Amino acid sequence: MGKVSRWLRDNNIIVIVVVTTIIFYLINPRFLSGENVVAISRQIVPIGLIVLGQFFVLVSGNIDLSMGMSSVFFAILLGVFFGMLGGVVIGIIAVFVVSLMLGAINGYFIGKVKVPAFIVTLATMFIVTGLSGLIIPPRQMIFLRGGFFKFIGSAKLFGMYYSTLILLVLFVIAWFLYNKTKFGGYVIAIGDNEENAKLVGINVTKMKMIIFMISAFCSGLAGIILSSRMGFVQPGLDGASIMMDAITAIIIGGTLLQGGKGTVGGVFWGLLFIGIINNSLNLLNVQDVWHQVFKGIVIIAALVLNWAIRKQSGIEAH
Amino acid sequence: MELSKAGFKGKFRISASKNVRYLFLIGLIIVVSTFFTFINPKFLSLVNIGILLRSISVLFLLSMGMTFVIITGGVDLSVGSNVAFAGAVGVLTLQATGNPVIAAIVTIAAGAAIGFINGYFVGKLDLSPFMITLATMALARGLSLVLYKADAISVTNEAFLWLGKTSVGPFPIVIVFDILVFLFIKSLLNRHTFGRDVFAVGSNLKAAHLLGRNVNMVLIKVYVLTGVMAGISSIITIGRVSSGQPWAGLNLEFDAITAVVMGGTSMAGGEGSLVGTIIGVIFYGIIINGLILTGANPYFQSVAKGLILLIVVVLDQVQKNRSAE
Repeated sequence: MGKVSRWLRDNNIIVIVVVTTIIFYLINPRFLSGENVVAISRQIVPIGLIVLGQFFVLVSGNIDLSMGMSSVFFAILLGVFFGMLGGVVIGIIAVFVVSLMLGAINGYFIGKVKVPAFIVTLATMFIVTGLSGLIIPPRQMIFLRGGFFKFIGSAKLFGMYYSTLILLVLFVIAWFLYNKTKFGGYVIAIGDNEENAKLVGINVTKMKMIIFMISAFCSGLAGIILSSRMGFVQPGLDGASIMMDAITAIIIGGTLLQGGKGTVGGVFWGLLFIGIINNSLNLLNVQDVWHQVFKGIVIIAALVLNWAIRKQSGIEAH
Repeated sequence: MELSKAGFKGKFRISASKNVRYLFLIGLIIVVSTFFTFINPKFLSLVNIGILLRSISVLFLLSMGMTFVIITGGVDLSVGSNVAFAGAVGVLTLQATGNPVIAAIVTIAAGAAIGFINGYFVGKLDLSPFMITLATMALARGLSLVLYKADAISVTNEAFLWLGKTSVGPFPIVIVFDILVFLFIKSLLNRHTFGRDVFAVGSNLKAAHLLGRNVNMVLIKVYVLTGVMAGISSIITIGRVSSGQPWAGLNLEFDAITAVVMGGTSMAGGEGSLVGTIIGVIFYGIIINGLILTGANPYFQSVAKGLILLIVVVLDQVQKNRSAE
């Protein structure tokens, strides 16, 4: 296999991102203006946090369907604590504690009881969706005002939003965790072949608990960012599309849904791709009703392109 | 000889544990029904049973299709959006032609088209069912919004509404239709070679290839079948409310998956039953209907769905783990 085709196989997402960037730039040069680039970097933060948590879950051969709706749930939980007690710190502690508990519950049923992750997290998705509506008084919004929310939502450092910088730092931590620690190797081993992982002495049950606690914790962080960004919370917030975007970003970024393979770098480019697509919908003045059509076609096109490049380089799509 | 004996024993054990599961689910249905009747005696009235049957008629059909998909080891996230999309195509056709028969056929064909896209990409290109149906879920919902211009269109053609609207006394005729569909599909799954192929594909894609099965064709047929079910479901949905709605079928894919999984079909593929799915759908319908009757906060329905799903699968898995030890 030639050097070029091997690079293409492993990095086709970079080609996809560059090509879409050029196309959108040619259509509307404002796409690459500093202002718009900063806007994209801000829009991708909640999706990016879900991406980070979901990445480890997918590489381990599992899936966490509850992440999107639970980020909405945690946003509301923070709002309820803030509204009731007026304290940000207690609200954030509550989000951290409850998110780790949710992750532990998911992880326990998946790791210990061995129920498929798809089903457990589908069930917890239903549960957090319902709880979001139950913990907030009916037909009400809670407004979140104050220094903290302003800081997380809209403060900048050197022209970049703090929330973006936080995401970048977390990406570096994830990269380190995935590539430079035993933890990362274990995650890959479990996703590659769970039985083998057990045979070489990896505590699969414990690992799964940790992996799902990480993903739930990331949902909690996404919830905090979401609520700060909007300045209010209500149960009707769209958590489902955040999760769909996140999974799409990870898969287009070269991670296998079957587990065992994926890179943090690839996922980062996948996130950029989703950010670009979401941003372009507004930039190109795509009418609201066409958004989902556009997105569906783009995802299919990216999947097919992804497939074609891998096929071209002689590697099965698997 | 030895092998076939073992095979026979294995099969027997599976069917025995299946029966235990059905009994367990039916037991749960009885307990839950008793509870709801105790809170609100109307629960067991004929009128309410009619309402219950009507409310599950669409989920019933979608879950039939979903059972096939899950047996092949896949999943179809697009069915809910497809209900809206097929309905949009059908309602516009009805407006243009005024002919309910043509409109119904076009509705079903539109549903099948989305199914074909899913099946083609899953079968031919070997793309992950989750990803491709996630994309067509957005696509179908988006097309529905575009076609409806994001607004409901009321339908007055009585013939087109007939299937979803008509009742005999308190009982909706659509339930008879559902039973006919079930009998047809059950014969497909259990008697014809197609059914065997579906299980073969789910048990092991590569082995099915070796056996000379055309895996691509089987997958395309299975996803087209769920598309057809979505098409029929949209006719029923439109009949129930006398209008086409751009957001029809929202989240129904997750409800269908829940019903199928509660009915004992394994997400790993290669194993499952339509009868189990029916029990799952009925159980599901009873929970939602009962909670509505008790006047509980609607958000509690979602919590209840999740808890019940978790309880059923966890108890089932605990039992499996025990018998495996």
